[in-house]
Amino acid sequence: MKLFRSVILGTALLASCSALAADKFKMAWSHYTGWEPWAYAEESGILKKWADKYGIEIELTLVNDYVESINLYTAGQFDACTMTNMDALTIPASGGIDSTALIIGDYSAGNDGIVMRNAKTVADLKGKDVLLVELSVSHYLLARALEMHGMSERDIRVVNTSDADIASAFVAQKDVAVVTWNPPLQQVRQVKNANLLFDSAKIPAEILDLTLVKTAADERFKKALTGAWYETMAVMSGGGKAQKEAISAMARSAGSTDAEFNAQLQTTQMFYQPADAVAVATNSKLAETMDSVRQFSFAKGLFGVGAKTVDHVGISFADGKVLGNSKNVKLRFDASYMEMARDGKL
Amino acid sequence: MNQNNKLSIEDVYKSYGNKLVLDNIDLKVAAGELCTLVGPSGCGKSTLLRLLLGQEFADAGSIIIDGAPARHPDPHRGIVYQKYSLFPHMTVFDNVMAGSRLSKQAWYLPWKRDKDDEAFAISMLERLRLVDAMRKFPHELSGGMQQRVAIAQALMSKPPLLLMDEPFGALDPDTREQMQIYLMELHEEHKLTIFFVTHDLDEACYIGTRLLVLSQYYTDDRGEEPTVARGAKIVGDYRLAREALPTTEKSSAYFKAFVEQVRANGFSPNNRCHVRDFNLKHPHSFQTLTREENQF
Amino acid sequence: MTANYKPVQPARLFGVHATPRNWHKLVLGLLPFILIIALYAYASHARKLDNPDDKLLPGFSQMVEAMQPLVMQPSPRNGQYVFWADTLSSLTRLALGCSLAFVAALWLGLNMGAFRGLEASASPFITFISMIPPLALLPMLFITLGVDEVGKVALIFIGTFPLMTRDVFIATKAIPREQLVKTLTLGGTQLAYLYRIALPQIMPRALDTFRLSLGAAWLFLIAAEAIASTDGLGYRIFLVRRYLAMDIIIPYVAWITLIGFLLDWALRVLARRLYPWYAGVNSK
Repeated sequence: MKLFRSVILGTALLASCSALAADKFKMAWSHYTGWEPWAYAEESGILKKWADKYGIEIELTLVNDYVESINLYTAGQFDACTMTNMDALTIPASGGIDSTALIIGDYSAGNDGIVMRNAKTVADLKGKDVLLVELSVSHYLLARALEMHGMSERDIRVVNTSDADIASAFVAQKDVAVVTWNPPLQQVRQVKNANLLFDSAKIPAEILDLTLVKTAADERFKKALTGAWYETMAVMSGGGKAQKEAISAMARSAGSTDAEFNAQLQTTQMFYQPADAVAVATNSKLAETMDSVRQFSFAKGLFGVGAKTVDHVGISFADGKVLGNSKNVKLRFDASYMEMARDGKL
Repeated sequence: MNQNNKLSIEDVYKSYGNKLVLDNIDLKVAAGELCTLVGPSGCGKSTLLRLLLGQEFADAGSIIIDGAPARHPDPHRGIVYQKYSLFPHMTVFDNVMAGSRLSKQAWYLPWKRDKDDEAFAISMLERLRLVDAMRKFPHELSGGMQQRVAIAQALMSKPPLLLMDEPFGALDPDTREQMQIYLMELHEEHKLTIFFVTHDLDEACYIGTRLLVLSQYYTDDRGEEPTVARGAKIVGDYRLAREALPTTEKSSAYFKAFVEQVRANGFSPNNRCHVRDFNLKHPHSFQTLTREENQF
Repeated sequence: MTANYKPVQPARLFGVHATPRNWHKLVLGLLPFILIIALYAYASHARKLDNPDDKLLPGFSQMVEAMQPLVMQPSPRNGQYVFWADTLSSLTRLALGCSLAFVAALWLGLNMGAFRGLEASASPFITFISMIPPLALLPMLFITLGVDEVGKVALIFIGTFPLMTRDVFIATKAIPREQLVKTLTLGGTQLAYLYRIALPQIMPRALDTFRLSLGAAWLFLIAAEAIASTDGLGYRIFLVRRYLAMDIIIPYVAWITLIGFLLDWALRVLARRLYPWYAGVNSK
């Protein structure tokens, strides 16, 4: 019967096969400035070195479509995946996949922004079409910007636009605003008369870029990932020839020039030192941020019909505090692995 | 020129590439004739018909139909084909009315009715015993019925010259005979001028008032075969006596002997007649030979 | 002694001689549907036992619950019933794009088939542009025509027009030459041939082509809505995909399938009613 059941699940294309090989782990990532270090970690052999150290195998897979990578992780195809704090809450966590934010890699400090032609402030958005990927962090950024200026989404019209086409759509249409992230953000800012009205630097440490693992995943896997990440960070910030080469490799992976990639790094607040990341993870402001994220997500119905209240999913923090239902904790901010990296105990 | 001629052809040549098909054809057909055209296969019967119809044009010579040169297809002549004569998307009645409607209504105003034509169409359908099938589509009819509708359709426009291209070629022998009688009756009743192409010599001899034989099997003074390309000519032109039209006529000894004579003169590559000696007994028959063809 | 032969009883279900009864056909026809629904229900149940919050294979009650506010309650934001508003805007785009393409294809194909001069000039071009993968044009369409309705309708138009034109053209050209000569000898003009003889004869075939093009049209519609939109069936599917709301995606996909099936069926019935002669001519 058990065999039959796994056959059924398998035919539904959804069975996770990672459980079969106990020492083999799979991680998915997608292109984004703050996650390009993973490409370098693999290319340079750093990832393999750490996997060998813990006697495991790690397979890193690039999934070109960001949402698809999260969906595959949620469906059970991967043991770890890169995503933002908001998507971690609304897709895997609200889908019942108990996940841990293993590494807080960076926060967006200008990597996400609102751009419009011939406008100066957020108030100028009133009555305009705003192109963005609905329900993404762009949407969250817009909601926060409107809230901070005493407006709401009723004052504008949201047009759901794919991130691949958002730059060309903005070029073609004169009287619209866009909310987007890098690299399209760089492109739209270069359009004549286009101004940046608001960006994520104004809401620091709210849009966090995470490396998420299944809470139940093997200790060795978590340690190997953390070790590999911070070794890569050290190379990236260590200066000299090694840093240059690492940046070049990441730029190549991202499909941009070194200069462009460096410009993107300017607006990405990378936590090169594990101690900095630990500081964010243990700061009580993180709970406030997550509260605002979950209120936004619940209001948009992102938790699905199963969630009757905003407290449906529980979020736990480094100090043991829980936001929401403590019996249903599905997203855990755990600083312990980053602390191990800080203390050199990996 | 005789004004009574519905059709007059003079010195018509037609070739496809290097192949000469029609070679100096001369012909006049008077009003009221049922003129049948036969000949061995590949002799150019269909080519001549297409020239008359205006689907193709002669390389040289003139074709005058009802006093005017033949141009693109127009109501100066009607046509009944072996198939594709009927419009598959119209009922029998609409097919018969097609001529009236297409010629009298603008194409974008297809709803004006002509009561007189409708009455005439009904009488035509009654005459051909098609009234019961009036609301049916062509594909629901037998082959013989379809051809009856096609004839009715062509007659509705009262064409000065009615062309028929093997109209009964696809029918079984009984139906065919019945159709031949229908055609002869209509011919007398409506004083029609008909140009009827067939490959069936019996049929041609039986229904016609005038029989034309088109053939490439003849000789002339132009020289021997491989060096000189010859096309088909009218090698025989007979006046046929049509009596009381009994179908038994076909089995009479005289009829059989006549058919055999025509066959021997026109259909055999081994029995070639000289251009001077063609059997052109019909009173309207005429032939203009070039100096090369007839050097004496 | 004469053998007492029994009358032959045809087989009901098995073998090449089988002639299933009507209720057999009904049951056999429903069987795959029932099987797939049962399989789904089982797999969904099994996953729920593992993880009660599973989003991948929602149960049927979960789908009903998720769809209820979309179908039955006006959205607080603009007072619209989301599901019906999505359906209406998608169908409007589909109808607009397809019918414009159909009318244009009918006109151009008919003229190309009848007039050799136009054929010489348009046929290579149409053959060429029918090779363009329309989805590859999407960014260009959005830039030149904007992300509003025009761009989406244009994508459907471009996606279906060349093939329909070619088909109408081929059908028109296949009408026997005799029909043209016949029309002219009966006193009809060239335009009368075009619109009163050729057009009605190719209409049933053109409707078939239209029916088959609908599949492609749906694809282009969904793709256009996925990339930039404020409503529509494709928009909703790609929007809720962001939080893996399969309990909305699955009913939407089922709904699109049902609409496609009904449209196909309605067009077939319409063609049979309007052109009763077509089936008979073809079977000969």
